[in-house]
Amino acid sequence: MMREKTWRDLIAVADLEPGDATPVALEGRELAVFDTRDGIFVAHARCTHGAANLCDGYFDGRRIECPLHQGLFDARTGVALAAPARVPLRMVEARVRDGLVQVLL
Amino acid sequence: MQVLTPITQALEDGALTRRELKALMARSDRPALMRLLAWVMTLGVTGGLVWLAQDSWLIWLAMLLHGVVLVHHFSLQHECCHYTAFRTRWLNDVIGNICGFVILLPNRFFRYEHCDHHTWTQLQGKDPEMIELPVGLGKYLWYLSSVPYWKAKFSELFRHVAGRLTEAELRFLPKEEHATVFWEARLMAAAYLAIFGFCFATGWWGPVWYWWLPVALGEPVMRAIRMTEHVGRPQVRDMTENTRSNLVSWPMRFLCWNMNYHAEHHYASSVPFHALPKLHAKLNGYIHVEPRGYFGAHLDILRQLTGRAPRADAQVPPA
Repeated sequence: MMREKTWRDLIAVADLEPGDATPVALEGRELAVFDTRDGIFVAHARCTHGAANLCDGYFDGRRIECPLHQGLFDARTGVALAAPARVPLRMVEARVRDGLVQVLL
Repeated sequence: MQVLTPITQALEDGALTRRELKALMARSDRPALMRLLAWVMTLGVTGGLVWLAQDSWLIWLAMLLHGVVLVHHFSLQHECCHYTAFRTRWLNDVIGNICGFVILLPNRFFRYEHCDHHTWTQLQGKDPEMIELPVGLGKYLWYLSSVPYWKAKFSELFRHVAGRLTEAELRFLPKEEHATVFWEARLMAAAYLAIFGFCFATGWWGPVWYWWLPVALGEPVMRAIRMTEHVGRPQVRDMTENTRSNLVSWPMRFLCWNMNYHAEHHYASSVPFHALPKLHAKLNGYIHVEPRGYFGAHLDILRQLTGRAPRADAQVPPA
């Protein structure tokens, strides 16, 4: 039986790397919290091409670049923008409540 | 799949902080544009020397010097292939393709091949760019002659023009990219043929004297430099062991776009060329550095292949 998704506290907004990607672990999941110019977005942190942790890559405010092969993703939608990345990131629905980033998992 | 990138390892080991890493990764168009301007001026000077020496035997020396600069288009192409030369991403594609055309290295194909080199650095049978430690002095000189390199490059081009890939290439090229690689090779071959045809029709052989012959003369220098990056280092995954950084003079750093800091580059390939000296200072003692530069690296290689030092490939752990 599938467990119903619930909103869970992930990290305080004050603890995020400002304007960057912050790695957060939640119950064995490696997540990346992106503080983008358009708000906060959360995705599974591993690159869909080479499985490197995207939080260690270059972030320009909207796009995250893999630190291993420089594949490119839109951090807001997860869309793969440049080779060798082809498969989109797995995004996680997120919101900010009372200064906390929450995810629906 | 659990993949620990070298830079993630360095962060976990405390070699540098995340803030420091992110500051080093900052992108800019300006350093590359400034260096590109100096680059074009350097090409103008060395090309001018070829022109001045055209009625003398000195033309061969001038072409060698010009060729050494020309073959270093590889270094700029390499930086572009990592999208670290310019902040503006499409500029990396444009300049990378131009560089690749100068040195017969199709840019899209190189991008994929080089990705696999970063995944499987120095692992026998997996690293598609691996230069093996020669079995002896003869093979060492044969590699430096560049004959095997050009043979491989022309075979690669003809194979891709014909729409074929090797088993090794199929491992790193997704099927969606096959057509791109084939058409890239065809366009490149057509352009070379068109230039040759133009020379033949007009009787003006400038590209031969200012481009192709100098590249052929300069390539042994590039082969020697490429050998210093990994050859003679242990064939293991550990980046603190399998890659060599070389401390070289500023003219060589200029030509190679700071890629003498090769171990630093493998640690954090998202750090642009202009920040590599700073990364070098941060990773001091954490990676393998050859203080005697390219010559020191070759002394190390020669000691191994003449039996005066243990060969790095003598004990290869199972992949």
